[in-house]
Amino acid sequence: MRRTFGHIFMALSGLVLALPIIVVAGASLNGGRTMLFPPEDPNFARFVEFFITETIWVRALRNSLIVAFGSATLAVLLAWPLAYLLWAKGSKASKVLAGLGSLPFALPPIVFGVGLGFMWAFVGSLGAIWVGIVSHATLFLALPLVTISIGLQSIDRAHLDAAATMGATEVVTFRTVILPQTLPYSISGFFFALVLSFNEFIVMFFVSASAYATVTLQIFNSLRNGYTPTMAVAAVLFITVSIAVFSAVARWGDLPRLMGADQSRN
Amino acid sequence: MTAVDSTKAEMTAPVPQMRRPWGTWALGALILFLAVTPFILVIVISFGQKIEGAGWEWDFTLANYQRFFVGALWPDEVTFLHLQRLYYALYYAVIASVLAVATAFPFTYLLTRQSRRAQSCWLVFILASLSLSEVFIVMGWDVLLSNRSGLPMLFEVSGATDWLKRTGWFEVLREWGLANPRNVKFKTSEFATILTMSYLVWPYAVILLYPALSRLDPSLTEAARTMGAGPTKVMTSVILPTVKLPLIGSTLLLFVFLLGSYVTVVVFAEPAKQTTAVAVYESVRGATLDAPFGAAQAVVLLVTAALFLVLAQFLTKRSEAR
Repeated sequence: MRRTFGHIFMALSGLVLALPIIVVAGASLNGGRTMLFPPEDPNFARFVEFFITETIWVRALRNSLIVAFGSATLAVLLAWPLAYLLWAKGSKASKVLAGLGSLPFALPPIVFGVGLGFMWAFVGSLGAIWVGIVSHATLFLALPLVTISIGLQSIDRAHLDAAATMGATEVVTFRTVILPQTLPYSISGFFFALVLSFNEFIVMFFVSASAYATVTLQIFNSLRNGYTPTMAVAAVLFITVSIAVFSAVARWGDLPRLMGADQSRN
Repeated sequence: MTAVDSTKAEMTAPVPQMRRPWGTWALGALILFLAVTPFILVIVISFGQKIEGAGWEWDFTLANYQRFFVGALWPDEVTFLHLQRLYYALYYAVIASVLAVATAFPFTYLLTRQSRRAQSCWLVFILASLSLSEVFIVMGWDVLLSNRSGLPMLFEVSGATDWLKRTGWFEVLREWGLANPRNVKFKTSEFATILTMSYLVWPYAVILLYPALSRLDPSLTEAARTMGAGPTKVMTSVILPTVKLPLIGSTLLLFVFLLGSYVTVVVFAEPAKQTTAVAVYESVRGATLDAPFGAAQAVVLLVTAALFLVLAQFLTKRSEAR
């Protein structure tokens, strides 16, 4: 009885969670230009528009991809030495540095966005696409930092001792023990940053200064004119990408462990 | 880091050490520059002054803060317009975060009792909806709650509207601002704003509660059951006390997250009930173009957020120490 009740509750939660997504997916099939649900005259015309014919969306999608891949790569490259420092030394300075590096992710993004807008204006490169990449890398630095730290902590100290006893240098130990064992965690961190960067728009709004737009920023900019089914196509694409990415993380990594589940109980 | 320090560390730590202090310094400087300078600039510029029709200049004036707390014309005239926006930001965020944690808690508890494989599947779904942009979530709820389609139409077609009118509940809904003379309406209303906000953070709530609940020792609950405690008793005397601090900590984190939400408020909240985050945007890039005042409002938001984050950190530390 209690079990059934539990299952019903979980199913209901899942349904509510899926509801807006289902509605948006339905609305993307609209033949006309108004967001109706259930869709009117359903066809795939809006998909063709989004991916091929409307340059505004094609360009926005290209920018989204450039910023997401660029910033996720940069975030992992910045997070690696920091996580390593934190793990190897655990000094007070490295802890403070990791804390400060996570600030942008923890505080309201609108405040960080406004600040970045001021900062890049002083530097004189507001509106350049590399500024968008660097800004997102900073915003999402906390994610690879956390996953890589979890990875480093999972390394068996016995392997390190064995490597040291057999006379491996620091570089060799790093290449043969540390790097392979933390690779899945680095990739997970990369994907978390990638997906969140793909979806972020407030910080992007302030640092792009209307010089270019990513997909979510483009939608945000046309918010006051209301939503159109073409934007719903973007939503369908984004949710598909997220599910694909996290399924990959679950398939090749240990998702429950990454999320902090207890290792000893399987 | 001096050479003496690093050799000392090398002797004590069992793991490989970095031998290039300059690299560490460069990394530190880079991270400080990227992650901290923006916040410092916001704080410094909040003391600046607007130049009519041009932009702003450096200054040290408290006028922006005075305008925020008591209005620009103080002491002749006092307005609490900006404080009221902060109040609405806090109000929406408190209810939405408590609601999210209250419903995510039983869900997460049930989730952690599933098989590892089922947990992975649910986590993929939850992470996907967690990372979904606020613009898309608002888009979905916008369709669901708008008057021409979605729920109001469902009410009309299914006859629920007529039923509400017959039973008198319709008048109650009208008083709450959830109905127009003909049918129920959810846009714009506090209900829609809080519902969407709490949907927005619900997956975060699951992810935040997941570690604490999955580490819950099942032998504790089993022992309590063996000694004859009912399910309610087990929940209130065994489970809840163990996860009390993570529960409060998560609520605080979600609350801080929601303080900055923008699109939800713009689309779903009544014009008179907008929040500070919206006002920041309006000042910096919107119609009024007053960067120093926007910065001052951002600082107020920042300080509020930081206070609650410190509190959350403190609670997390305490729960880890036990």
